[in-house]
Amino acid sequence: MDLQNLNPSSLKSRFTARFLRALTEINAPKTISSSSPREIFQRYRRIKVAADKSMAYSVRSRRIWSRATLWRLRTRSRSRRLVSFGRRASVKTRTTASHGKENKEHHGAVLGVQAEELRELVPGGEAMDLCNLLDETAHYIKCLTTQGFCVYMGGLLCEGCC
Amino acid sequence: MEPNARTAETISNLTASDGYEVTAFESLQFTDEIHRLISAPPTDNASSFTALLELPSPQAVELLYSPESSKLIPASPPNVEDFKGNFHFPSNTCLIERDARLSAEVNNSNENEKSKSPESKKLSTNLEKAVKSEPAETESSQPLVSDPTLDKRSIKRKDGENKVKGSTKKSKTAVNESSEDAQKLPYVHVRARRGQATDSHSLAERARREKINARMKLLQELVPGCNKISGTALVLDEIINHVQSLQRKVEFLSMRVAAVNPGIDVNLDSILTSESGSPMDSNFPSLVMPVTWPEVQGNGHRQQYEHQCHFDALQQPVWGRGEVCHNYITPENSLLTYDSSANSATLHANQLKMEL
Repeated sequence: MDLQNLNPSSLKSRFTARFLRALTEINAPKTISSSSPREIFQRYRRIKVAADKSMAYSVRSRRIWSRATLWRLRTRSRSRRLVSFGRRASVKTRTTASHGKENKEHHGAVLGVQAEELRELVPGGEAMDLCNLLDETAHYIKCLTTQGFCVYMGGLLCEGCC
Repeated sequence: MEPNARTAETISNLTASDGYEVTAFESLQFTDEIHRLISAPPTDNASSFTALLELPSPQAVELLYSPESSKLIPASPPNVEDFKGNFHFPSNTCLIERDARLSAEVNNSNENEKSKSPESKKLSTNLEKAVKSEPAETESSQPLVSDPTLDKRSIKRKDGENKVKGSTKKSKTAVNESSEDAQKLPYVHVRARRGQATDSHSLAERARREKINARMKLLQELVPGCNKISGTALVLDEIINHVQSLQRKVEFLSMRVAAVNPGIDVNLDSILTSESGSPMDSNFPSLVMPVTWPEVQGNGHRQQYEHQCHFDALQQPVWGRGEVCHNYITPENSLLTYDSSANSATLHANQLKMEL
Protein backbone atom coordinates (compact mmCIF):
# COMPACT_ATOMS: atom_id res chain seq x y z
CA MET A 1 0.00 0.00 0.00
CA ASP A 2 2.90 2.32 0.60
CA LEU A 3 4.08 1.86 -2.95
CA GLN A 4 0.67 2.67 -4.21
CA ASN A 5 0.49 5.84 -2.24
CA LEU A 6 3.82 7.06 -3.45
CA ASN A 7 2.40 7.32 -6.92
CA PRO A 8 2.40 11.04 -7.61
CA SER A 9 -0.52 10.87 -9.99
CA SER A 10 -2.82 8.86 -7.78
CA LEU A 11 -6.02 10.32 -6.50
CA LYS A 12 -4.68 10.60 -2.99
CA SER A 13 -1.60 12.57 -3.86
CA ARG A 14 -3.46 14.86 -6.23
CA PHE A 15 -6.11 15.57 -3.69
CA THR A 16 -3.73 16.05 -0.82
CA ALA A 17 -1.58 18.46 -2.75
CA ARG A 18 -4.52 20.62 -3.67
CA PHE A 19 -6.10 20.42 -0.28
CA LEU A 20 -2.96 21.40 1.57
CA ARG A 21 -2.43 24.33 -0.70
CA ALA A 22 -5.98 25.43 -0.10
CA LEU A 23 -5.41 25.05 3.62
CA THR A 24 -2.41 27.33 3.49
CA GLU A 25 -4.48 29.85 1.61
CA ILE A 26 -7.11 29.70 4.29
CA ASN A 27 -4.68 30.00 7.11
CA ALA A 28 -2.49 32.64 5.56
CA PRO A 29 -4.66 35.69 6.16
CA LYS A 30 -5.40 34.71 9.72
CA THR A 31 -2.16 34.88 11.53
CA ILE A 32 -3.80 36.00 14.74
CA SER A 33 -6.47 33.48 15.35
CA SER A 34 -9.44 33.83 17.53
CA SER A 35 -11.05 30.73 18.80
CA SER A 36 -14.56 31.99 18.81
CA PRO A 37 -17.04 29.47 17.52
CA ARG A 38 -18.04 31.80 14.77
CA GLU A 39 -14.54 32.04 13.43
CA ILE A 40 -14.12 28.35 13.71
CA PHE A 41 -17.33 27.79 11.88
CA GLN A 42 -16.29 30.09 9.10
CA ARG A 43 -13.04 28.30 8.77
CA TYR A 44 -14.83 24.99 8.81
CA ARG A 45 -17.00 26.02 5.94
CA ARG A 46 -14.04 27.13 3.95
CA ILE A 47 -12.11 23.99 4.66
CA LYS A 48 -15.06 21.89 3.70
CA VAL A 49 -15.43 23.76 0.44
CA ALA A 50 -11.71 23.39 -0.08
CA ALA A 51 -11.94 19.66 0.43
CA ASP A 52 -14.86 19.26 -1.93
CA LYS A 53 -13.34 21.46 -4.52
CA SER A 54 -9.97 19.76 -4.28
CA MET A 55 -11.59 16.41 -4.70
CA ALA A 56 -13.63 17.56 -7.67
CA TYR A 57 -10.60 19.08 -9.32
CA SER A 58 -8.55 15.98 -8.75
CA VAL A 59 -11.14 14.01 -10.64
CA ARG A 60 -11.44 16.74 -13.28
CA SER A 61 -14.46 16.36 -15.50
CA ARG A 62 -14.24 12.65 -15.93
CA ARG A 63 -17.17 12.02 -13.69
CA ILE A 64 -20.62 13.47 -13.59
CA TRP A 65 -20.54 14.05 -9.86
CA SER A 66 -17.33 16.01 -10.01
CA ARG A 67 -18.69 18.27 -12.70
CA ALA A 68 -21.86 18.72 -10.68
CA THR A 69 -19.89 19.59 -7.56
CA LEU A 70 -17.79 22.15 -9.34
CA TRP A 71 -20.81 23.66 -10.98
CA ARG A 72 -22.65 23.78 -7.70
CA LEU A 73 -19.76 25.48 -5.93
CA ARG A 74 -19.41 28.04 -8.66
CA THR A 75 -23.06 28.89 -8.87
CA ARG A 76 -23.38 29.05 -5.13
CA SER A 77 -20.61 31.57 -4.96
CA ARG A 78 -22.18 33.51 -7.78
CA SER A 79 -25.60 33.36 -6.23
CA ARG A 80 -24.26 34.70 -2.99
CA ARG A 81 -22.89 37.67 -4.76
CA LEU A 82 -26.06 38.21 -6.74
CA VAL A 83 -28.39 38.01 -3.78
CA SER A 84 -28.32 41.73 -3.46
CA PHE A 85 -29.20 42.17 -7.12
CA GLY A 86 -32.32 40.13 -7.17
CA ARG A 87 -33.86 36.75 -7.58
CA ARG A 88 -31.67 35.45 -10.35
CA ALA A 89 -29.98 32.93 -8.17
CA SER A 90 -33.15 31.44 -6.81
CA VAL A 91 -34.59 31.17 -10.30
CA LYS A 92 -31.53 29.31 -11.41
CA THR A 93 -31.72 26.76 -8.65
CA ARG A 94 -35.40 26.29 -9.17
CA THR A 95 -35.01 25.48 -12.84
CA THR A 96 -32.32 22.92 -12.18
CA ALA A 97 -34.44 21.25 -9.52
CA SER A 98 -37.44 20.97 -11.78
CA HIS A 99 -35.33 19.60 -14.61
CA GLY A 100 -33.97 17.02 -12.27
CA LYS A 101 -37.40 15.94 -11.16
CA GLU A 102 -38.55 15.40 -14.72
CA ASN A 103 -35.72 13.03 -15.30
CA LYS A 104 -36.58 11.18 -12.17
CA GLU A 105 -40.00 10.39 -13.46
CA HIS A 106 -38.69 9.12 -16.74
CA HIS A 107 -36.26 6.65 -15.24
CA GLY A 108 -38.68 4.77 -13.08
CA ALA A 109 -36.91 1.90 -11.48
CA VAL A 110 -38.18 -0.87 -9.31
CA LEU A 111 -36.27 0.54 -6.36
CA GLY A 112 -37.63 4.02 -6.66
CA VAL A 113 -37.37 5.23 -3.10
CA GLN A 114 -33.78 4.27 -2.55
CA ALA A 115 -32.80 5.50 -5.97
CA GLU A 116 -34.21 8.90 -5.14
CA GLU A 117 -32.36 9.02 -1.87
CA LEU A 118 -29.16 8.08 -3.61
CA ARG A 119 -29.72 10.77 -6.16
CA GLU A 120 -30.01 13.32 -3.44
CA LEU A 121 -26.79 12.17 -1.85
CA VAL A 122 -24.60 11.92 -4.89
CA PRO A 123 -24.03 15.33 -6.44
CA GLY A 124 -25.48 15.54 -9.90
CA GLY A 125 -27.46 12.40 -9.37
CA GLU A 126 -30.77 13.87 -10.32
CA ALA A 127 -30.16 13.67 -14.01
CA MET A 128 -28.86 10.12 -14.15
CA ASP A 129 -30.55 6.86 -14.85
CA LEU A 130 -30.11 4.07 -12.37
CA CYS A 131 -27.34 2.39 -14.31
CA ASN A 132 -25.09 5.43 -14.41
CA LEU A 133 -26.13 6.37 -10.92
CA LEU A 134 -24.70 3.17 -9.55
CA ASP A 135 -21.47 3.75 -11.45
CA GLU A 136 -21.17 7.24 -10.10
CA THR A 137 -21.97 6.07 -6.59
CA ALA A 138 -19.15 3.57 -6.68
CA HIS A 139 -16.62 6.15 -7.79
CA TYR A 140 -18.01 8.69 -5.38
CA ILE A 141 -17.65 6.30 -2.45
CA LYS A 142 -14.06 5.64 -3.41
CA CYS A 143 -13.31 9.34 -3.61
CA LEU A 144 -15.10 10.13 -0.36
CA THR A 145 -12.99 7.62 1.50
CA THR A 146 -9.86 9.10 -0.01
CA GLN A 147 -11.01 12.57 0.90
CA GLY A 148 -11.76 11.59 4.46
CA PHE A 149 -8.41 9.93 4.84
CA CYS A 150 -6.49 12.90 3.49
CA VAL A 151 -8.42 15.45 5.52
CA TYR A 152 -7.73 13.39 8.58
CA MET A 153 -4.06 13.27 7.77
CA GLY A 154 -4.08 16.98 7.13
CA GLY A 155 -5.67 17.51 10.48
CA LEU A 156 -3.03 15.44 12.19
CA LEU A 157 -0.38 17.38 10.39
CA CYS A 158 -1.82 20.64 11.55
CA GLU A 159 -2.05 19.30 15.05
CA GLY A 160 1.51 18.17 14.91
CA CYS A 161 2.69 21.57 13.87
CA CYS A 162 1.13 23.65 16.60
CA MET B 1 -29.13 -6.29 -55.58
CA GLU B 2 -31.72 -7.82 -57.85
CA PRO B 3 -31.98 -11.10 -56.05
CA ASN B 4 -32.60 -9.18 -52.90
CA ALA B 5 -35.40 -7.21 -54.42
CA ARG B 6 -36.94 -10.31 -55.83
CA THR B 7 -36.72 -12.12 -52.59
CA ALA B 8 -38.25 -9.23 -50.79
CA GLU B 9 -41.05 -9.20 -53.28
CA THR B 10 -41.74 -12.85 -52.88
CA ILE B 11 -41.75 -12.44 -49.14
CA SER B 12 -44.14 -9.56 -49.31
CA ASN B 13 -46.31 -11.54 -51.67
CA LEU B 14 -46.37 -14.39 -49.30
CA THR B 15 -47.28 -12.20 -46.41
CA ALA B 16 -50.00 -10.57 -48.40
CA SER B 17 -51.54 -13.79 -49.57
CA ASP B 18 -51.74 -16.07 -46.58
CA GLY B 19 -51.38 -15.22 -43.02
CA TYR B 20 -49.16 -17.76 -41.47
CA GLU B 21 -49.85 -20.72 -43.65
CA VAL B 22 -47.39 -21.60 -46.27
CA THR B 23 -48.16 -23.96 -49.03
CA ALA B 24 -45.54 -26.27 -50.32
CA PHE B 25 -45.40 -24.46 -53.61
CA GLU B 26 -44.70 -21.15 -52.02
CA SER B 27 -42.04 -22.56 -49.82
CA LEU B 28 -40.35 -24.03 -52.84
CA GLN B 29 -40.51 -20.72 -54.57
CA PHE B 30 -38.91 -19.09 -51.64
CA THR B 31 -36.19 -21.67 -51.40
CA ASP B 32 -35.43 -21.17 -55.05
CA GLU B 33 -35.03 -17.49 -54.44
CA ILE B 34 -32.69 -18.11 -51.61
CA HIS B 35 -30.72 -20.60 -53.59
CA ARG B 36 -30.31 -18.07 -56.33
CA LEU B 37 -29.17 -15.62 -53.77
CA ILE B 38 -26.52 -17.97 -52.54
CA SER B 39 -25.21 -19.20 -55.85
CA ALA B 40 -24.84 -15.72 -57.31
CA PRO B 41 -22.55 -14.28 -54.74
CA PRO B 42 -23.22 -10.70 -53.96
CA THR B 43 -20.47 -8.44 -52.78
CA ASP B 44 -21.25 -8.45 -49.15
CA ASN B 45 -23.31 -11.39 -48.19
CA ALA B 46 -23.66 -10.63 -44.59
CA SER B 47 -25.12 -7.21 -45.08
CA SER B 48 -27.45 -8.48 -47.77
CA PHE B 49 -28.73 -11.11 -45.43
CA THR B 50 -29.26 -8.66 -42.69
CA ALA B 51 -30.94 -6.36 -45.12
CA LEU B 52 -33.08 -9.28 -46.03
CA LEU B 53 -33.76 -9.89 -42.42
CA GLU B 54 -34.59 -6.38 -41.48
CA LEU B 55 -36.80 -5.62 -44.42
CA PRO B 56 -39.51 -8.17 -44.03
CA SER B 57 -41.95 -7.89 -41.24
CA PRO B 58 -42.06 -10.37 -38.43
CA GLN B 59 -44.75 -12.16 -40.35
CA ALA B 60 -42.22 -13.15 -42.92
CA VAL B 61 -40.30 -14.70 -40.12
CA GLU B 62 -43.18 -16.87 -39.24
CA LEU B 63 -43.26 -17.97 -42.80
CA LEU B 64 -39.62 -18.81 -42.67
CA TYR B 65 -40.23 -20.61 -39.47
CA SER B 66 -43.09 -22.78 -40.48
CA PRO B 67 -41.36 -24.76 -43.18
CA GLU B 68 -38.54 -25.47 -40.80
CA SER B 69 -40.66 -26.46 -37.94
CA SER B 70 -42.76 -28.55 -40.22
CA LYS B 71 -39.69 -30.46 -41.13
CA LEU B 72 -38.42 -30.91 -37.66
CA ILE B 73 -41.61 -31.32 -35.77
CA PRO B 74 -43.91 -33.44 -37.82
CA ALA B 75 -47.25 -32.38 -36.48
CA SER B 76 -47.30 -29.14 -34.63
CA PRO B 77 -47.83 -25.50 -35.36
CA PRO B 78 -44.83 -23.25 -35.44
CA ASN B 79 -44.79 -22.92 -31.76
CA VAL B 80 -41.96 -21.38 -29.93
CA GLU B 81 -41.84 -23.99 -27.26
CA ASP B 82 -41.67 -26.84 -29.68
CA PHE B 83 -38.96 -25.20 -31.57
CA LYS B 84 -37.08 -24.76 -28.38
CA GLY B 85 -37.65 -28.31 -27.37
CA ASN B 86 -36.24 -29.58 -30.57
CA PHE B 87 -33.02 -27.83 -30.01
CA HIS B 88 -32.54 -29.49 -26.77
CA PHE B 89 -31.26 -32.66 -28.33
CA PRO B 90 -27.58 -32.20 -28.86
CA SER B 91 -25.35 -31.38 -26.01
CA ASN B 92 -23.45 -28.17 -25.70
CA THR B 93 -20.16 -29.69 -26.63
CA CYS B 94 -21.22 -31.00 -29.97
CA LEU B 95 -22.96 -27.73 -30.47
CA ILE B 96 -19.68 -25.90 -30.13
CA GLU B 97 -17.88 -28.35 -32.34
CA ARG B 98 -20.43 -28.01 -35.04
CA ASP B 99 -20.21 -24.30 -34.62
CA ALA B 100 -16.62 -24.29 -35.62
CA ARG B 101 -17.09 -26.60 -38.54
CA LEU B 102 -20.31 -25.30 -39.90
CA SER B 103 -19.45 -21.70 -39.46
CA ALA B 104 -16.50 -22.32 -41.70
CA GLU B 105 -18.80 -24.05 -44.16
CA VAL B 106 -21.39 -21.36 -44.18
CA ASN B 107 -18.83 -18.67 -44.49
CA ASN B 108 -17.21 -20.43 -47.35
CA SER B 109 -20.49 -20.99 -49.03
CA ASN B 110 -21.29 -17.35 -48.66
CA GLU B 111 -17.86 -16.53 -49.94
CA ASN B 112 -17.43 -13.97 -47.34
CA GLU B 113 -13.79 -14.33 -46.71
CA LYS B 114 -12.44 -10.85 -46.73
CA SER B 115 -13.75 -9.00 -43.79
CA LYS B 116 -16.08 -10.90 -41.63
CA SER B 117 -18.07 -8.33 -39.90
CA PRO B 118 -19.20 -9.21 -36.43
CA GLU B 119 -22.65 -9.53 -37.85
CA SER B 120 -21.70 -12.24 -40.25
CA LYS B 121 -19.81 -14.06 -37.57
CA LYS B 122 -22.75 -13.70 -35.34
CA LEU B 123 -25.06 -15.02 -37.98
CA SER B 124 -22.91 -18.02 -38.62
CA THR B 125 -22.31 -18.86 -35.00
CA ASN B 126 -25.90 -18.36 -34.03
CA LEU B 127 -27.06 -20.32 -36.95
CA GLU B 128 -25.10 -23.35 -36.00
CA LYS B 129 -26.91 -23.70 -32.77
CA ALA B 130 -29.93 -24.34 -34.87
CA VAL B 131 -28.24 -26.22 -37.61
CA LYS B 132 -26.94 -28.71 -35.12
CA SER B 133 -30.26 -30.44 -35.21
CA GLU B 134 -30.02 -30.73 -38.93
CA PRO B 135 -26.68 -32.51 -38.95
CA ALA B 136 -27.86 -34.64 -36.12
CA GLU B 137 -30.62 -35.92 -38.23
CA THR B 138 -29.11 -35.89 -41.64
CA GLU B 139 -25.54 -36.51 -40.54
CA SER B 140 -24.23 -34.49 -43.34
CA SER B 141 -21.28 -33.13 -41.56
CA GLN B 142 -18.91 -33.16 -44.44
CA PRO B 143 -17.71 -29.77 -45.53
CA LEU B 144 -19.81 -29.64 -48.59
CA VAL B 145 -19.49 -26.24 -49.97
CA SER B 146 -21.75 -26.80 -52.86
CA ASP B 147 -24.39 -28.84 -51.18
CA PRO B 148 -27.55 -27.04 -52.10
CA THR B 149 -29.95 -28.57 -49.65
CA LEU B 150 -27.69 -28.05 -46.70
CA ASP B 151 -26.97 -24.52 -47.71
CA LYS B 152 -30.58 -23.80 -48.28
CA ARG B 153 -31.62 -25.23 -44.99
CA SER B 154 -28.76 -23.67 -43.16
CA ILE B 155 -29.40 -20.26 -44.53
CA LYS B 156 -33.10 -20.56 -44.00
CA ARG B 157 -32.42 -21.59 -40.48
CA LYS B 158 -30.11 -18.65 -40.13
CA ASP B 159 -32.81 -16.31 -41.30
CA GLY B 160 -35.41 -17.84 -39.09
CA GLU B 161 -33.15 -17.77 -36.12
CA ASN B 162 -31.93 -14.31 -36.32
CA LYS B 163 -35.26 -12.81 -37.05
CA VAL B 164 -37.07 -14.45 -34.21
CA LYS B 165 -34.32 -13.39 -31.99
CA GLY B 166 -35.26 -14.56 -28.65
CA SER B 167 -37.71 -17.29 -29.29
CA THR B 168 -35.38 -20.23 -29.17
CA LYS B 169 -34.00 -21.85 -26.14
CA LYS B 170 -30.29 -21.35 -26.10
CA SER B 171 -27.48 -22.72 -24.09
CA LYS B 172 -25.56 -20.46 -21.83
CA THR B 173 -22.68 -20.26 -24.25
CA ALA B 174 -24.97 -18.80 -26.83
CA VAL B 175 -26.19 -16.26 -24.35
CA ASN B 176 -22.65 -15.30 -23.49
CA GLU B 177 -21.66 -14.98 -27.08
CA SER B 178 -24.64 -12.92 -27.96
CA SER B 179 -24.13 -10.64 -25.02
CA GLU B 180 -20.50 -10.17 -25.94
CA ASP B 181 -21.34 -9.41 -29.50
CA ALA B 182 -24.14 -7.18 -28.42
CA GLN B 183 -21.63 -4.80 -27.01
CA LYS B 184 -19.84 -4.54 -30.32
CA LEU B 185 -22.83 -4.38 -32.62
CA PRO B 186 -25.12 -1.46 -33.15
CA TYR B 187 -28.09 -3.76 -32.76
CA VAL B 188 -28.54 -5.48 -29.47
CA HIS B 189 -28.84 -9.19 -30.15
CA VAL B 190 -29.94 -10.69 -26.93
CA ARG B 191 -30.96 -14.27 -26.50
CA ALA B 192 -33.93 -15.12 -24.44
CA ARG B 193 -33.67 -17.99 -22.09
CA ARG B 194 -36.22 -20.70 -21.92
CA GLY B 195 -39.57 -19.72 -20.62
CA GLN B 196 -39.02 -15.99 -20.91
CA ALA B 197 -40.84 -13.37 -22.89
CA THR B 198 -39.41 -12.56 -26.23
CA ASP B 199 -40.61 -9.19 -27.38
CA SER B 200 -38.07 -6.48 -27.83
CA HIS B 201 -39.22 -4.46 -24.85
CA SER B 202 -38.71 -7.20 -22.36
CA LEU B 203 -35.41 -8.09 -23.92
CA ALA B 204 -34.16 -4.56 -23.58
CA GLU B 205 -35.43 -4.44 -20.06
CA ARG B 206 -33.69 -7.65 -19.23
CA ALA B 207 -30.41 -6.37 -20.63
CA ARG B 208 -30.81 -3.24 -18.56
CA ARG B 209 -31.59 -5.22 -15.46
CA GLU B 210 -28.52 -7.34 -15.95
CA LYS B 211 -26.38 -4.25 -16.23
CA ILE B 212 -27.87 -2.88 -13.05
CA ASN B 213 -27.30 -6.14 -11.22
CA ALA B 214 -23.69 -6.24 -12.28
CA ARG B 215 -23.13 -2.76 -10.92
CA MET B 216 -24.92 -3.60 -7.72
CA LYS B 217 -22.48 -6.44 -7.22
CA LEU B 218 -19.57 -4.07 -7.57
CA LEU B 219 -21.11 -1.72 -5.06
CA GLN B 220 -21.66 -4.57 -2.68
CA GLU B 221 -17.98 -5.31 -2.75
CA LEU B 222 -17.12 -1.68 -2.13
CA VAL B 223 -19.36 -1.19 0.82
CA PRO B 224 -18.24 -3.27 3.77
CA GLY B 225 -20.76 -5.66 5.14
CA CYS B 226 -22.97 -5.71 2.09
CA ASN B 227 -21.99 -9.13 0.85
CA LYS B 228 -24.16 -10.92 3.32
CA ILE B 229 -27.27 -8.94 2.60
CA SER B 230 -29.55 -10.27 -0.06
CA GLY B 231 -32.05 -8.19 -1.88
CA THR B 232 -31.40 -5.05 -3.78
CA ALA B 233 -33.49 -2.76 -1.60
CA LEU B 234 -31.58 -3.58 1.55
CA VAL B 235 -28.27 -3.34 -0.23
CA LEU B 236 -29.21 0.07 -1.53
CA ASP B 237 -30.16 1.11 1.98
CA GLU B 238 -26.75 0.05 3.17
CA ILE B 239 -25.08 1.96 0.39
CA ILE B 240 -27.06 5.07 1.21
CA ASN B 241 -26.11 4.79 4.84
CA HIS B 242 -22.49 4.36 3.93
CA VAL B 243 -22.44 7.41 1.67
CA GLN B 244 -24.15 9.50 4.34
CA SER B 245 -21.71 8.38 6.98
CA LEU B 246 -18.76 9.15 4.74
CA GLN B 247 -20.05 12.62 4.03
CA ARG B 248 -20.58 13.26 7.73
CA LYS B 249 -17.11 12.02 8.51
CA VAL B 250 -15.58 14.38 6.02
CA GLU B 251 -17.56 17.22 7.52
CA PHE B 252 -16.48 16.32 10.98
CA LEU B 253 -12.85 15.95 10.04
CA SER B 254 -12.82 19.31 8.36
CA MET B 255 -14.38 20.76 11.48
CA ARG B 256 -11.56 19.26 13.43
CA VAL B 257 -9.05 20.80 11.11
CA ALA B 258 -10.73 24.15 11.53
CA ALA B 259 -10.66 23.82 15.28
CA VAL B 260 -7.02 22.87 15.34
CA ASN B 261 -5.90 25.53 12.96
CA PRO B 262 -5.71 28.54 15.22
CA GLY B 263 -2.29 27.50 16.36
CA ILE B 264 -0.96 26.45 12.99
CA ASP B 265 2.17 27.67 11.39
CA VAL B 266 1.50 29.49 8.17
CA ASN B 267 4.19 27.96 6.07
CA LEU B 268 3.00 24.40 5.55
CA ASP B 269 5.01 23.76 2.46
CA SER B 270 8.30 24.50 4.07
CA ILE B 271 7.43 22.21 6.90
CA LEU B 272 6.56 19.44 4.52
CA THR B 273 9.68 19.71 2.46
CA SER B 274 12.02 19.94 5.40
CA GLU B 275 10.83 17.19 7.63
CA SER B 276 8.87 14.03 7.35
CA GLY B 277 6.54 12.96 10.07
CA SER B 278 7.71 9.43 10.78
CA PRO B 279 5.42 8.57 13.68
CA MET B 280 2.51 8.66 11.27
CA ASP B 281 3.67 5.62 9.34
CA SER B 282 1.67 3.30 11.46
CA ASN B 283 -1.54 4.98 10.46
CA PHE B 284 -1.04 4.19 6.84
CA PRO B 285 -2.24 0.68 6.32
CA SER B 286 -5.51 1.16 8.03
CA LEU B 287 -8.20 3.47 6.99
CA VAL B 288 -10.04 1.92 9.85
CA MET B 289 -8.32 4.08 12.35
CA PRO B 290 -9.21 7.45 10.96
CA VAL B 291 -12.66 6.19 10.28
CA THR B 292 -13.37 4.93 13.73
CA TRP B 293 -11.50 7.50 15.72
CA PRO B 294 -13.57 10.52 14.79
CA GLU B 295 -16.71 8.79 15.81
CA VAL B 296 -15.58 8.39 19.36
CA GLN B 297 -14.77 11.98 20.06
CA GLY B 298 -16.87 13.56 17.44
CA ASN B 299 -20.15 14.03 19.13
CA GLY B 300 -19.05 16.53 21.69
CA HIS B 301 -17.41 18.85 19.23
CA ARG B 302 -20.19 18.51 16.78
CA GLN B 303 -22.96 19.50 19.05
CA GLN B 304 -21.08 22.51 20.17
CA TYR B 305 -20.54 23.70 16.65
CA GLU B 306 -23.94 22.82 15.44
CA HIS B 307 -25.46 25.25 17.83
CA GLN B 308 -23.34 27.93 16.32
CA CYS B 309 -24.23 26.69 12.89
CA HIS B 310 -27.86 27.36 13.36
CA PHE B 311 -27.20 30.75 14.81
CA ASP B 312 -24.67 32.04 12.37
CA ALA B 313 -25.71 30.33 9.21
CA LEU B 314 -27.59 33.25 7.84
CA GLN B 315 -25.01 35.92 8.35
CA GLN B 316 -21.83 34.23 7.41
CA PRO B 317 -22.16 32.94 3.93
CA VAL B 318 -22.64 36.27 2.27
CA TRP B 319 -19.18 37.59 2.66
CA GLY B 320 -17.53 34.33 3.54
CA ARG B 321 -18.16 32.94 0.10
CA GLY B 322 -16.82 35.96 -1.62
CA GLU B 323 -13.49 35.56 0.07
CA VAL B 324 -13.48 31.90 -0.63
CA CYS B 325 -13.93 32.48 -4.29
CA HIS B 326 -10.90 34.62 -4.60
CA ASN B 327 -8.89 32.10 -2.74
CA TYR B 328 -9.75 29.26 -5.01
CA ILE B 329 -9.41 30.75 -8.38
CA THR B 330 -5.84 31.73 -7.82
CA PRO B 331 -4.54 28.52 -6.28
CA GLU B 332 -5.40 26.71 -9.46
CA ASN B 333 -3.24 29.05 -11.48
CA SER B 334 -0.49 28.94 -8.97
CA LEU B 335 -0.81 25.20 -8.87
CA LEU B 336 -0.20 24.92 -12.57
CA THR B 337 2.86 27.10 -12.50
CA TYR B 338 4.13 25.35 -9.45
CA ASP B 339 3.82 21.98 -11.04
CA SER B 340 5.52 22.94 -14.22
CA SER B 341 8.42 24.68 -12.62
CA ALA B 342 9.37 22.39 -9.80
CA ASN B 343 8.26 18.89 -10.62
CA SER B 344 10.85 17.10 -8.63
CA ALA B 345 10.16 19.22 -5.60
CA THR B 346 6.47 18.51 -5.95
CA LEU B 347 7.06 14.81 -6.16
CA HIS B 348 9.28 14.90 -3.15
CA ALA B 349 6.77 16.90 -1.23
CA ASN B 350 4.04 14.48 -2.17
CA GLN B 351 6.12 11.57 -1.06
CA LEU B 352 6.69 13.13 2.27
CA LYS B 353 3.06 13.99 2.60
CA MET B 354 2.17 10.42 1.92
CA GLU B 355 4.57 9.16 4.47
CA LEU B 356 3.06 11.25 7.17
